Amino acid sequence: MKLELTVTATEITPAVEENERKVLLSVENLKVEFRRGGHVVSAVAGVSFDIYEGETLGLVGESGCGKSTTGRALMRIEKPTSGSVQLDGVEMTKMKGRQLRLTRRKLQMIFQDPVSSLNPRRRVRDIVAEPIDCWRAAKGKERDDIVFELLTKVGIDPRVYGNRYARQFSGGQCQRISIARALAMKPKMLICDEMVSALDVSIQAQILNLLEDLKKEYGLTLLFIAHDLAVVKNVSDRVAVMYLGRFCEIGPSDTLYAQPAHPYTKFLLEAALDADPDSPRHDEVLGGEPPSPLNPPSGCRFRTRCPQATDLCASEEPQMQTLSEGHQVACHFPLIPVRR
Amino acid sequence: MSAESVDETAEAVSAVDNATPSKKIRLLPPDAPLLSVQNVTTSFLTPRGVVTAVSDVSFDLYTNEVVGIVGESGSGKTVLSRTLMGLQPKRGVQVDGSIQFATPFTGTADEVEGPMDENPLVGFEIARAKESELRKIWGTDIAMVFQDPMTSLNPVVRVGTQISEGLRVRLGMSRANAKKRAIELLTQVGIPSPEERYRMFPNQLSGGMRQRVMIAIALACNPRLLLADEPTTGLDVTIQAQILNLLEQLQADYKMSVILVTHDLGVVATRTDRIIVMYAGRIVEMGTTRDVFYSHRMPYTEALLGSTPKVADPSHTRLTTIPGRPPDILNLPQGCSFAPRCKYVTEKCLSERPELTPSEATGHFFACWNPIPARAVPVASPRASANEIGVDSDRD
Repeated sequence: MKLELTVTATEITPAVEENERKVLLSVENLKVEFRRGGHVVSAVAGVSFDIYEGETLGLVGESGCGKSTTGRALMRIEKPTSGSVQLDGVEMTKMKGRQLRLTRRKLQMIFQDPVSSLNPRRRVRDIVAEPIDCWRAAKGKERDDIVFELLTKVGIDPRVYGNRYARQFSGGQCQRISIARALAMKPKMLICDEMVSALDVSIQAQILNLLEDLKKEYGLTLLFIAHDLAVVKNVSDRVAVMYLGRFCEIGPSDTLYAQPAHPYTKFLLEAALDADPDSPRHDEVLGGEPPSPLNPPSGCRFRTRCPQATDLCASEEPQMQTLSEGHQVACHFPLIPVRR
Repeated sequence: MSAESVDETAEAVSAVDNATPSKKIRLLPPDAPLLSVQNVTTSFLTPRGVVTAVSDVSFDLYTNEVVGIVGESGSGKTVLSRTLMGLQPKRGVQVDGSIQFATPFTGTADEVEGPMDENPLVGFEIARAKESELRKIWGTDIAMVFQDPMTSLNPVVRVGTQISEGLRVRLGMSRANAKKRAIELLTQVGIPSPEERYRMFPNQLSGGMRQRVMIAIALACNPRLLLADEPTTGLDVTIQAQILNLLEQLQADYKMSVILVTHDLGVVATRTDRIIVMYAGRIVEMGTTRDVFYSHRMPYTEALLGSTPKVADPSHTRLTTIPGRPPDILNLPQGCSFAPRCKYVTEKCLSERPELTPSEATGHFFACWNPIPARAVPVASPRASANEIGVDSDRD
C-alpha cells in the first residue's frame, strides 16, 4: 500500500497576498439554540468569523463549548436559530430543498468516528461513488476513473481494497475513505470535526499529512474542529478559541500560541502537554469546570473561572477588539495591549 | 493452568500465611523493589488460537517511583496493567512468569529463615495468587484507577457509599468513621462541597469529578502502588491538567509508587521517573524519562515522538509518519515486530527478534538490531530535581 503521497500540484498555494484574500465563508452572529424540556440551551451564542479561500481555520475548545455545533450549523445539519452564513456571497441559512442540496456540494464534512460514518454493508468503491451517483455527475468508466483516482490519492489501493466492505478496515483507513468520499464532488471547503481524535498518534500523523497534501492539491479551504491544541496548531493558518458558545480569541496560529491575549487561551495552552520532558510546567492550572450552557454567566462567559475578573466582566459582555493584524480578542482586560 | 502450577500456588499461599516450622519464610532484602515483574506473558485462549497480548515483560518498580507505560492501542499496555493487578480471569487466560509484590511481613521472628530486619518484607506472588488472596491486597496495597470513570462506578450507588465501602470492608471502620474519612478524601481530591457530593449518584457528576471520585476510592486505604490506566483520556485539557497535578501531589503525599499507563507521550513527559515503551506486547525501550526522550535508541520510539504534534512547534510542521499500522498480534512477524514499518530495517531484523540490551551511553534498555546512535541527554532544568524532595521511603 502506498502511504506517502507526493505533492504534484504545488503551484496552487494558499498563501495569497493579504489584501487580495477572498472570503469564502462569512459567518455573522450565528446562534444555535436547542429547546429541551422548556429550557433553552444556547450551544452557539452569536459567533462571527470569516474563512478565506485556501486557508485552514482551526476551532478549539473544550467539550460542550459549541465547536461541533458551529460546524454542523454551517453544514445546515443543525438549523441556525439566527444569524447569517454566506458561502461565496450566497446566504445559506434561508435555503431550502434543492437549492440547499446544490450548495452543500461545495461544503463537505468529515466526522469523528470514521467507522460509523461509513455504511458497513457497502463496498468501498460504492461508498466513494455515492455522491457522484446521487448527482449523476459521471457514469460508467468516467465514474470508475474518478473513484480510482480518489482512492489512490488517499492511499487506499483501489485494485486491492476497492471491493472490500467498510467494516474490514481499520479506523485510519476508514478515515481515508471518508476523505475520498468528501472529495468526490470537488468541494470548495471541508469541515473536519475531530477527524483524528479517535486515531493512534502514528495514524493521526499520516492523516494530518495527507490532509495537508490534499488541501494543496485541490486548493481546499478547511475548518478544522478539534480539542487537541497541538493538532490544531499543526494544521491551521488561523485559530479560533471557543468557550461556552462564544469566541474568546481568534488569530494567526503562531501569534495566538506565542502570545495569547485571552486568559482562557493562556490557561488552555498551559494545560496542553508536550511530549518533551523540558517543556515548561505551569503549576497554576485553571480550576473549576465550565458552567452549564443552560444558565450561562452574565457578561463575559469565562468570568466565573477567570482569576482577573472584575465587576465590569459581570455586567458587560466584552466585544471583539483587534490587537494586531487578524488577531482579535473578546476580553475587557486582554493580556497584550490593544492597538488603538 | 496446569496441575503443577496449582500445587505451586498452594505452596506459595501457605508460605505467606502459616509457615510450618520445617519450612521457614525467606524475607526480601530491605532494598527490594516494591514490584518485581519477571518474564510475564499473558495469553488469551480464543477460538482463533492463542493470542499473546503481553510477551516476556520484566521490570522492577521501586517505592516512591512513577513509571509510565506508553504504547499505541493494541500494544498490550492495558492487558499488562490488569495482569499486574491480578485482574485477569483464571479461565481462558494464561499468565506465565512472576509478579512479586513486596508486602510487609507481620509474623514472628522464629518463622523466618535468617535474621529479621527492622521492617521485614515478604514477597507476594500476584501471578499465581487465588482471588481470595488477591482480595487482601486489592485496595489496601494495590489500587487501580481505570480509564472510564462512568463504567467503573456503580450507577445506582451513591458515590459516598462507594468510597466508604472499601474503608468499612478493608479497614473495618464504623459507618460514621468511614463517612468522615470519605468526606475527607473527597476534599483531598479537590471536590467542592464534599458533603453534598457524598450523597450524589455518579451520573450527577461531570467526567472530571467522577475521575476524582475514582481516585478517592483508590486512595481510600492508603495503597502503596497505584495503577492508573489512561486516567485522563477523554477529559478536557484543563481538567486533565487538574487530575494529573492532583495525582502527582497525592503521590508525593502518600509516598506511593505509581504506574501511569497512557498512549499520550505528553502525559508521561514531565510526570514520570522512568518510561516503558511497548510495541506488540513487548517492551521495546525502557529507561529514565530523559534518556528515553532524548537518547532513545529504538526507531519506534523515535517514530512515535516524531509523529506527535507539539504545541511548541510552528504551525504546518511536517510530521514524520510511521507507514502501515500496528501489527495484528494474532500473526506477528518472525523477527522484530516493528521491522515491517521501520525505516532502518536490516536482513537480521526480519528473521531474528532483538532482546532488550543496555545502551552503552546511558545504560537504559532497548530492543533493536540497528539502533539509532546514542545522543547526549541535556541536563535537567532545576524544576526536575525539585521532585527529588521526599524520596525517603518512610511510610507507615
